[in-house]
Amino acid sequence: MKKTFLTVSILLFLFGCILIYQNITYNDKKLHVVICDVGQGDAIFMRTPDGSDILIDGGPNNSVLSCLSRHMPIWDKTIEVMIMTHPHADHLTGLIDVLKRYRVLMFGTGKNGCSTDLCKKLIEQLKQNGTAQKYLYQGDRFAIKDGIALETLCPTQEWVSQHLVAKSSDENGSSVIELLTYKKFKALFAADAQASDMEKIDMLTGIIDLLKVPHHGSKTGLNSDILDILNPNIAAISVGAKNRYGHPASFTLELLKSLNIKTLRTDQVGDIEIVSDGNNWRVK
Amino acid sequence: MNSKLLVILLIILSFRLYYFSQNQIHFANGQQISFETAILSQPQTIGGRQVFTANYKNQKIQISTGLLPEINYGDYTLIVGKISNQKNKVLMYFPKIETINNPANILQTSLKGVNIVRQKLIALFSKTLPSPSSSLLLGIIFGIKEQMPKSFTDNLRTSGVFHVIAASGMNVTLVGGFISIAFAYFLKRQIAIGLSILGIVFYAILAGAEASIVRASIMGILVFSAQILGRQTLAINGLSLAGFVMLFIDPTLISDVGFQLSFAATLGILYLKPLFGNKEGIASEVLTTVAAQTATLPILLANFGTYSVYSILVNGLVLWTVPILMMVGGVGAIIGLILPQLGQLLIYLCYPLLLYFEGIVNFFGKIGGVISIKALPWEFIAGYYCLLVSILIISHKEV
Repeated sequence: MKKTFLTVSILLFLFGCILIYQNITYNDKKLHVVICDVGQGDAIFMRTPDGSDILIDGGPNNSVLSCLSRHMPIWDKTIEVMIMTHPHADHLTGLIDVLKRYRVLMFGTGKNGCSTDLCKKLIEQLKQNGTAQKYLYQGDRFAIKDGIALETLCPTQEWVSQHLVAKSSDENGSSVIELLTYKKFKALFAADAQASDMEKIDMLTGIIDLLKVPHHGSKTGLNSDILDILNPNIAAISVGAKNRYGHPASFTLELLKSLNIKTLRTDQVGDIEIVSDGNNWRVK
Repeated sequence: MNSKLLVILLIILSFRLYYFSQNQIHFANGQQISFETAILSQPQTIGGRQVFTANYKNQKIQISTGLLPEINYGDYTLIVGKISNQKNKVLMYFPKIETINNPANILQTSLKGVNIVRQKLIALFSKTLPSPSSSLLLGIIFGIKEQMPKSFTDNLRTSGVFHVIAASGMNVTLVGGFISIAFAYFLKRQIAIGLSILGIVFYAILAGAEASIVRASIMGILVFSAQILGRQTLAINGLSLAGFVMLFIDPTLISDVGFQLSFAATLGILYLKPLFGNKEGIASEVLTTVAAQTATLPILLANFGTYSVYSILVNGLVLWTVPILMMVGGVGAIIGLILPQLGQLLIYLCYPLLLYFEGIVNFFGKIGGVISIKALPWEFIAGYYCLLVSILIISHKEV
C-alpha cells in the first residue's frame, strides 16, 4: 500500500513537471508553422501566438497524429480550423484520424467531387463531430484575434461553377491554395497546384517568406517566372522517401537551387518547423 | 506432467490433425460462396482497404474490401463473394458484406457488447493522451494495436520489444489477481475466483482473442480453478493443456507465428530460466528476456528474418514500467468507463513513463542494429532445438 502510494505520487509529480514544461514552451506568443513529416502526402500544422490550431490536410496515414502531439500541448484537444485542399488520399486520410481524437470547430474545403469511400467516411465523421462545414473560394478569410489571417487564393467561384462536377483528374487543379499572413510574415501553402494555377495567383501574394512547394515538388508545379514573383526565402517540400512518383523532380530542385532558395524536405529532415514573431522568422 | 498422459494427448492430437487435413475443403478459383461469420480479428486498414481474416468451414479466408462499410472486431456478418486462390492462401476480393443484427443470438449480442466497451476504451485513451503514447498504452494493457502509427510499430520491432503490445501472461495474471483480491474482501473466496475466471474470459475477448492471449487465458483459468478445487498445479500442465485444447479446436494454429512464439517463449521461461539461477528485480527481467529469446530465436528468424542486437538491453530498460502501466492504466480504464474525468487523471499519470518508454524505443529504433537473414535452413532450426533439449536433459540429471 505504501509502495503504491509512493509510485502514484512520483507519477503525479512527474506529470506535473511535464505540464509546467509544456506551459512554458507552448506559450511563447509566436507563430509556429510545421510541415509535418507524414511520408508521401501533405499535412501542415499551425499554432498561432494565442494558441489557436490550424491544420491543412492530414497526410496519407495516421502519422499526422504524432506530428500534432509533438507540436500541441497535452491539454489542448481542439483544432480551430481544418482545411482539406482536395480529396486525394495522400491529403485526406489522416484527417479522419484527427477528427476521431480532436474537437474541430470549422472545416473548409473546395467544392469538388467527394466520390471515394474515404471522402464519404470523412464527411460522416464530420457530421458525427458536429463540425461546421464551409466551401472555400478566392477571397475567403479566417482572421484570428492575435493578428493571424488565413486567406483562400484558389479556387475562384467562376472556376468552380465552370467545373462544377470535377472529374478525378481535375482534383489537383482545383486544390485550395491558402496564404497565411502574420504582420510581415507570409507563407503560401500551394497544395497540389499546377504551374498554371500558380500563375493565376502569384500576383496576389506579393513577396513571401515560406513556400510549401506544390505537389510534393513535381516538375509541373513551379517555373522560374512564378518563383521570381513569389521570391520566397525558404521552400518546404513535403515528400516521402523513395516514393514511386519520383517526387521531388530534379527540375524543381535545380530551379530552387539556381535561385538560391533554401530548400528543406520532410524526407530528409522530418518535421519542418518555422517560428515567427511576425517580423523575423527562423527554422527550428 | 505425467508422461503417459502426455503421450495419450499427443496421439489424440495427431488423429485430430489427420482428420482435419482429410476434411479440408478445397475451393475452386472463382467459386461463389456465402456464409455467416463473426469477425474475430480486427480489420487492418492497408492502402485504402480493410483486410481481415474470416473462418469458413475450418478454412481461413483473407478478405479485402473497401473502407465502407466499416467493419469492426466482434461484428457478425453475412459475406457473399468469389474465392480466389493464390499461393497457399485463400483470398476474397470485395465481397458483399452485410452486418447482421439478431438480438436473439446470445453470441452476437455479447460480442457486440464487448465491442462497445472496446470502442469506448479506445476513445477514452486516444482522447486523453497524444499519439503514439495512447496507442502504446492501449497495446500494453489490452493488446489493442489498430491505432498505432506505422513508424512507431517499426521502432518497436527494430528495438525488439514488440511483444509488450501483445496481451499475454502478465496481463491475465494481473486481471485475474486484481479481480480476486478486489472481491475477496466481501465475497466467498470461491465466488471471487469464479468472478476472476469470468473476468479473464471477458478480457481475452476484449483484447482481440489472439493466440498469445488465448494461451495465457487458458493457463490462467486452470491456475485459478485449481485454487477453487484447492489443488496446486504446475504451470507446465497448464501450458500443455492450453496447447492441446487450442490445437484440437483449430489445428491451423500450428502454423500461426503468434501461437508458436507464445508457446516457445513460455516453455523457455519455465524450463530455461531456472538454469540461470534465482535473481530479483531487473536482473530477473533480463533473464526472463534471455530465456524467452533463446527459446524463440529460430521462430523469429524463420518468420521475420531479423534479430535485434540491442533487444536484451532495451527489454531490461523498459520492462519494469510495464506492470506499473498495466495497473495504473488498467484501473484508469475501468474507472474511466464510469467516471471519465477521474479515469483520465489516472491515464495521465502513465504519461511520464510512456514518454520514457517511447524515448528508449525511438532511440534504439533509429540506431537499428538489426541482423537479417534471408532463408533459415531447417537443419539449423532442428539442430538448435535438439541442442537446447539435450542441454536441458543433461542439466536435469545433474540436479
